[in-house]
Amino acid sequence: MGLACCAIEMMSVTSAEYDIARLGSEVFRASPRQADLMIVSGRVAQKMAPVIKRLYDQMADPKWVISMGACASSGGMFDNYAIVQGVDTIVPVDVYVPGCPPTPDGLLYAVNLIQQQIREGGRGGLLARA
Amino acid sequence: MPSTQTPSITGPAIDPPSVRPPIDDAAIERLEPARLHARLAELKAAGYTMLLDLGAVDYPKRAPRFDVVYHLLKLPLRKASVAELATPQRLRILCGVSADGPKLPTVTDLWSCADWAEREVFDLFGVVFEGHPDLRRIQMPNDWEGHPLRKDYPLRGPARERSPRPAFALKSNVQAGTPPSGRTLQALQEQIRRAQSERRP
Amino acid sequence: MSFGGTALRPELVSQDGNAMVLSMGPQHPSTHGVLQIMLEIEGESILKAEAEIGYLHTGIEKTCENLFWSQAQTAIERMDYLAPSSNALCYALAVEKLLGVTDDIPERATQIRVMGAELTRIASHCVWLGTHGIDLGALSVFFYCFDLRENILDLQEAVGGARMHPNHFRVGGVQADLPEGYIERLDSLIEKFPGRMRDLRTLLQANPILQDRLIDVGILTPEEAVQWSLTGPSLRASGIAYDVRKAFPYCGYENYRFDVPTRDDGDSYARFLVRLDEMEESMRIVEQVRKELKPGPVMIDDTKIAPPPKETIALSMEALIHHFKIMTEGFRVPPGDVYQAVEGPRGELGYYIVSDGGNRPYRVRTRPPSLYNLQALKCMAPHNLIADLVVMIGSLDPVFGEVDR
Repeated sequence: MGLACCAIEMMSVTSAEYDIARLGSEVFRASPRQADLMIVSGRVAQKMAPVIKRLYDQMADPKWVISMGACASSGGMFDNYAIVQGVDTIVPVDVYVPGCPPTPDGLLYAVNLIQQQIREGGRGGLLARA
Repeated sequence: MPSTQTPSITGPAIDPPSVRPPIDDAAIERLEPARLHARLAELKAAGYTMLLDLGAVDYPKRAPRFDVVYHLLKLPLRKASVAELATPQRLRILCGVSADGPKLPTVTDLWSCADWAEREVFDLFGVVFEGHPDLRRIQMPNDWEGHPLRKDYPLRGPARERSPRPAFALKSNVQAGTPPSGRTLQALQEQIRRAQSERRP
Repeated sequence: MSFGGTALRPELVSQDGNAMVLSMGPQHPSTHGVLQIMLEIEGESILKAEAEIGYLHTGIEKTCENLFWSQAQTAIERMDYLAPSSNALCYALAVEKLLGVTDDIPERATQIRVMGAELTRIASHCVWLGTHGIDLGALSVFFYCFDLRENILDLQEAVGGARMHPNHFRVGGVQADLPEGYIERLDSLIEKFPGRMRDLRTLLQANPILQDRLIDVGILTPEEAVQWSLTGPSLRASGIAYDVRKAFPYCGYENYRFDVPTRDDGDSYARFLVRLDEMEESMRIVEQVRKELKPGPVMIDDTKIAPPPKETIALSMEALIHHFKIMTEGFRVPPGDVYQAVEGPRGELGYYIVSDGGNRPYRVRTRPPSLYNLQALKCMAPHNLIADLVVMIGSLDPVFGEVDR
């Protein structure tokens, strides 16, 4: 779910230097029907919020959500009329990644945490932080 | 304390474009709304072929409340090299629009690129462009109420402005809205005095 | 309404009224961000394309009205997030014009600004090329481009602290001098660059698949380009060599030798070639700056605008007071309005800034090049295939932080 600046760092994660493929997350699906993990990377505008909710609903269970960046986690530096103050007001989030934008290492650690959560069988919620 | 909570030290100028220092960035012309379309058509015929930008500014304390600003550029309509272009002429048109029933004629018939720009001015300021083929909101959702970039629209939006800020933002020995210099020392001294009086008995 | 339009293959449009309305986006891998295009299609060919924007509207302009002059710059860097330093540069130049201190900016600061602006342009074009390649199916190009971009992000991180949004250019100069080891890293990038460009050109430029997909797709005549207010590489690919660095030089660009690549065809292949050539021209400028880099201060001397150096704060009461005032109240800018334009990677990025004399901007109106570039889709898209639309969006290179702000 590449929205803004964090999406570019998400693209850097797939590049050769950080290489998310070695963790198994090589394929970024364009369609929510085929995805297990939604990475909300970037600021969520008022117009985009229902779209994100719809995409989350379209994903098949089991599904996880990473909220990448300060804007997706809490509204970030944009405490104003246009930005939803945290995507967790719309969808349940498993891992929050702070940063503006977070370095690709942060996102890699977040994917690691999700894999840990899957292994341990629990859901993260507010307690998981990258 | 975030600077969005401290009151702003507003400047004295009520009409900044009229008191600008001599910066040589463009020739400037101020027009009345009635004369706008005709003059812009003249300018387009005279060679100002590109409408670079169409924006608006809100001066609530001034008589025509809104200023719609057009930036024009003279560019040839055919292949041209750097040497031929040299330094093209820039022109800035400022048009004052009054607050009650703000409207202006559209310029989409002169420059097609004004389409989205006028929709944005309508969305964020409320200025209606007569003759626009499709005037509806562009940045905000279609059912949004209010025009966000007006000065009387709260930054956090009307709904969130009414709700309290989170608890951790309220914990401060300085009241929100206090200017940064002054009361901090007072509040600190008050705290010290209270702590000392509690310790005494 | 379609101004002109390029009816290249009208035989593709069937006449029996089978039009379907399809929404492409806002979540779509090929729209380069959050763009929704309402397509009226018949089979695979497009009858009408209406783009819907606003899915990333952040209210940056309103946020800036509530932040100090120096703080607003952090919000502004998030507009064109692929080339953040160019936004910061334009804003800093505009505010300096209002302050009247344009001539007092130290020369080293100006040179560092030029270097940063050109490196950020190359980084932005790397993202453009990588994503454009992915849209066309050339997946390995993405890795080559992002590897090159990593080197530039390393440099930005070294000098500003963050990979993207380094927040390095400030009003009055540059926040900090180049650190130790920066010049060596820059030299190794300058050395690596020609080989990498050769690789990219070998992979793409004469590639028959790329040429088939790009040539004669999305043709814009010079009249159409000016009518739709295109600027930057999209305009230069139609033959008009308008580059703000040459037409309205800023930051000493008149002293550097560089060409403005132009093509006549106006199709996506021309835009592609123009941007590739621009990357090389930018590196030429970086090399010139590197050779001519002069020692000296990097921030203006005026302590009413720039905080004094940290070492003096413990020693001088004046410095402490100035620092306190600047950090808690910000500096004030005399009333007036100004329009400053720079050549961003997408075109003429302009800021129309109004100050009422206070410590916060009164209005920061951005002239976003991508907003105007993107409108041309209305004129380019009809009578093309959906696959061509993907190529056209890629060749216009929009970034939605700027379009929606």
